[in-house]
Amino acid sequence: MVRSLAFLVSLIALTMGATSVLQGAETVWSGLVIAENVAQPQPIPPELTRIEGSLKKFFGYNQFQVIGQSQKTLKTGQEDWLATSKFFGLHVDARGETEAGYVLNLKLYKEKELLLETDTKLSKRSPLVIKGPQVGGGQLLLVLVVQ
Amino acid sequence: MKTFEEKWTAWVDERLSGRELSEFEASLPDKAAAEAEKAGTLKLGELLKRELSARTLSNEEFFSDQLHENIARFHQATAGQAREARSTWWTIPRLLSAGAASLAVFLVFTVVVMHEKNPAEESQYLTQILNARVDPLVSPNGTVSIFEVKQDRVTVLWTEGLQSLPSDYAAK
Repeated sequence: MVRSLAFLVSLIALTMGATSVLQGAETVWSGLVIAENVAQPQPIPPELTRIEGSLKKFFGYNQFQVIGQSQKTLKTGQEDWLATSKFFGLHVDARGETEAGYVLNLKLYKEKELLLETDTKLSKRSPLVIKGPQVGGGQLLLVLVVQ
Repeated sequence: MKTFEEKWTAWVDERLSGRELSEFEASLPDKAAAEAEKAGTLKLGELLKRELSARTLSNEEFFSDQLHENIARFHQATAGQAREARSTWWTIPRLLSAGAASLAVFLVFTVVVMHEKNPAEESQYLTQILNARVDPLVSPNGTVSIFEVKQDRVTVLWTEGLQSLPSDYAAK
């Protein structure tokens, strides 16, 4: 009886420990996306599949193409990284982790010119989409998702 | 030749008769005292016979006695079984009680925690924009708005008035 109880307690402790370790290392996908309306739309990139409906409904485009992306595994919640395309750069500076997600500072650059800056609490269950400048007949979107 | 004691015993038991009886009674120094002693001895004998003889039981008493013995044995056996049952910790009723109690505690905690967490959870659930700004030199007419699309739990930072760029900027 006592042995069974000790085994059960150990198992629960190990499971909780493993869960917290797994929770501690999460990956943030950040992407520069060009949204356009075209006659023959390409399939949506897999990173955007879960928000495809919202993107189409909210922005009114039928094609979404990734022109730059970065995938960063956060261990301390203090990392920073860059997602770049030929002309744009998205600098992401993680400034801490909360129970709900990560505190991020985002800066969108056009070449060396700062277009937009924002501070956000990125939830682990809620993607962030930022409408950027108009590019030709389409729109630049910045997307951040905790995977 | 019988001794005095033998004759006394036979007299008390009224086994003397005839000439032997009259000679013995004549030999007694105080016949009245002897008669009183004889009567007392006879009474004592009768009393002893009555009280010390084995008491015979009637049928009803016998069966009642047997029944009481059986009941006593049954009670002893039942008490033993109950002690054995009590000595086992995880009996079925106890398991059921423990399970029901655990479930009740779990439900209470779940209800309390969910009740307390619900208002805060909505804000934790969605990504929050803490602040946003566009460079006024680059985009003097730039504005920002925040939308939440609850269907997919998407938060949208909507900008207007940013500088439009040619399609070449869509290059990878």
